[in-house]
Amino acid sequence: MKRRNFLKASALASSAWMIPSFLRSQSLAGSPNGKTLVVVQLSGGNDGLNTIVPYRNDIYHRSRPRLAISAKDVLKVDDQMGFHPAFESLRPLYDQGLMSIVNSVGYPNPDRSHFRSMDIWHTASNSDEYWSSGWLGRYLDSQCKGCLDPHHALEVDDGLSLALKGKQRQGFAMSNVQSLKRTTDNRFLQAVSRQLSTQQQEEHNVAYLYKTLIDTQESAGYLYEQSKMHRSKVTYPKTSFAKDLKQIAELMTADSTVKVYYVSLTGFDTHVNQQRQQARLLQQYAEGMAAFVKDLSQNKLLDDTLIMTFSEFGRRVQQNASNGTDHGTANNLFLMGGKLKKAGFFNTAPDLSRLDKGDLIYQIDFRDIYTSILDKWLGQDSERILGRNFAGIDIV
Amino acid sequence: MTESSQNIKHLYWRAGFGLHAEEWATRKSWTIPQALDQLFEAAANDRMLSTRIEKATVMDEDFRKLSNEKKKALMQQSRKNIRVLRAEWVKRMGDPNRSALLEKMCLFWHGHFACTTKMAQLALRQVQSIRKHALGNFRDFVKAIARDASMIRFLNNQQNRKRKPNENFARELMELFTIGRGHYSEQDIKEAARAFTGWSSNLKGEFVFRSRQHDFGQKTFLGRTGNFDGDDIIDRLLEEKQTARFICQKIYRYFVNDQLNDQHVEDLAHHFYQSDYDIGGLMRYLFLQDWFYDPVNQGCRIKSPAELIAGMIRSLKITIKEEKALVFLQKALGQSLFDPPNVAGWPGGRQWIDNSTLLIRLNLANSLIAGQEFKFRAKDEFEAQQRGRALRKLDASVDMTPIVAQFERENLRQSFQELTDYLIVPQLPLSKDFFDPYTIKTERAAYIKTLCIRLMSLPEYQLC
Repeated sequence: MKRRNFLKASALASSAWMIPSFLRSQSLAGSPNGKTLVVVQLSGGNDGLNTIVPYRNDIYHRSRPRLAISAKDVLKVDDQMGFHPAFESLRPLYDQGLMSIVNSVGYPNPDRSHFRSMDIWHTASNSDEYWSSGWLGRYLDSQCKGCLDPHHALEVDDGLSLALKGKQRQGFAMSNVQSLKRTTDNRFLQAVSRQLSTQQQEEHNVAYLYKTLIDTQESAGYLYEQSKMHRSKVTYPKTSFAKDLKQIAELMTADSTVKVYYVSLTGFDTHVNQQRQQARLLQQYAEGMAAFVKDLSQNKLLDDTLIMTFSEFGRRVQQNASNGTDHGTANNLFLMGGKLKKAGFFNTAPDLSRLDKGDLIYQIDFRDIYTSILDKWLGQDSERILGRNFAGIDIV
Repeated sequence: MTESSQNIKHLYWRAGFGLHAEEWATRKSWTIPQALDQLFEAAANDRMLSTRIEKATVMDEDFRKLSNEKKKALMQQSRKNIRVLRAEWVKRMGDPNRSALLEKMCLFWHGHFACTTKMAQLALRQVQSIRKHALGNFRDFVKAIARDASMIRFLNNQQNRKRKPNENFARELMELFTIGRGHYSEQDIKEAARAFTGWSSNLKGEFVFRSRQHDFGQKTFLGRTGNFDGDDIIDRLLEEKQTARFICQKIYRYFVNDQLNDQHVEDLAHHFYQSDYDIGGLMRYLFLQDWFYDPVNQGCRIKSPAELIAGMIRSLKITIKEEKALVFLQKALGQSLFDPPNVAGWPGGRQWIDNSTLLIRLNLANSLIAGQEFKFRAKDEFEAQQRGRALRKLDASVDMTPIVAQFERENLRQSFQELTDYLIVPQLPLSKDFFDPYTIKTERAAYIKTLCIRLMSLPEYQLC
């Protein structure tokens, strides 16, 4: 049987999962509610205390004799808190009410290993549980069969993060749409996928591999077409992080069906000589995000976009002997977008007089934030996706 | 191909990493008992690791007495040595002169007693321990793992002290290593943790029992009371047949089929328990069962990245010149040895596959054999200070002469049939005509080479 006949046959067998997107009903393509989520991961553990600075706090200055940012250098937001000087380009966003800072975000029994803590953020498990699927992957799982393509959760990277791997479905990874297109244009593999075997049962792994191949080829084609539709008019900085954001903005403007974008910035593990390293990265982050938000705003997309920036943990309050900081626990998390419930500071600054063995104590479980994003922003049942019931917090 | 050759192929893929072309030529007409004798004999005769690995991982100095710079340099060297171990191990799996069965068992147990190690000298000790027990007695194995420095550190047993017990090791011992969830209480974990207090290690990787930190008091564990130590806890867990069942379920999923057959598992568990946990005996028993060769159990497993890479190396005798490439490939495909995602090991099965890993897999033969550009930027280590570079080429060399010699026939159709029988495990619904536009047919050697690349680029090649 030729593939086309097979597809018909399998559709008749009431299983639509093999049907490529162009044959699928368009009703669910795109966003059911038109909302998009962008997740920005700062890898290595960003020092939140030197990002959003309690510049009046004596404990802060005492704990960080060489690293503390002084009142004269800080970008003052109010009479207690200020931004790292490298955040200058984010200041206008903050002033326009497009940014919200959530303090002291973490989870019970925090783990100080990068790998493990990132795992916990990606899977949304408790710190003594080992889950092998990610929260955004399970968001894909929770959609109806056949109405969602893998690229509906798109990571701008060569490899796919655990956060986007579900139990049944996987998100889509791509660092550059042109090179992805070149790879999938392989004539032989295209011929192979046209000859899909019918002898195997659908639940057989060979069918799963063929399905993934076909989805990949189709997603590559789709994303390539979408990427040609719109060229950004905003000038982005020349960093690879900004390039990734620009690619996202262009896809969003082309009204692609992607619901969730995922992008990372690496290098925040500042054990030694933190100042220059962190300043360089925060500047990359701030300038990239400022251009990105401007781009979205010019294209009237900001009201339908929520951007969440997180890191696997913050750093210890006390600086170390190498002018750096070691792995800590709770941290601040940033939200950006045009429809934030509470712009500015969502909650009060971390209490530096009450620490757990020198580390901040979390006030907000990150899964309360996931809950609100899933329920309120993406319109999904968070309890099914997170496996637990969290109250959520009033962010969107 | 005869059914019996098909079974031999199945056995060598499941018990190892496939066969080299010359091995295939002779062994495809063997009987199963004959093949099993070869597999188990080779495993028994395989010597310890190479001196290259052992030299790379010696640590003579007392780490604590070193200056900060020296410590840093040593840790850096250690990370480098872990990469050597990572590359060397995959090469061993693919080396026809090594016991495939032993390496396969070690890979299985490495995923079972999953552990991340950053210090090479500790990793080496763990590897030696796994090699020693991989086909030995499970009881001795668990007791050795409970004394393994990497595991002790990974699961915080260094911090498990009488006055403040740390339950991490005790919990995973039960949940993941022996009896499985639902067969013990939280109180059992607490009591077991007490029995392992003071089980510690030094930086050379030796087990140290710190008696001052050990709780010699009475414990009540799984319904019995006594002055238990760690070994008593392990013995008690193995007294429960559920432990044999739990291990056999895992073995079944790994060696037979993702989908459990309860009756077959129960049969294995019974045999394993009766033999007092003889792993080698269990494996031989499993490979002798008729149901192991049932067509539903053949060609249905998605190869793990290590199996895929080792299998290609073994089939074609590929030499990958740069260590970096082997380390990189493991990372890109999602299975870096000595760095499992967590203590539960690699989830495996369909979890290996996403759009990125599948495209790498399907282009791998092209990159390795035809030198096609390979472009991939791996995710950076969390410790990295900036974005790493992409790897652009897998510098490999392949000597196609033995393959050509084995599969050269009067007509190409014959070569096609035999090469397909050799390389592909599941049924292949594609005929020679399908491959014709993508192969070179003017010369026999070129035909075999190009066909090899095409066959190894198929989704079907991802299965064994």
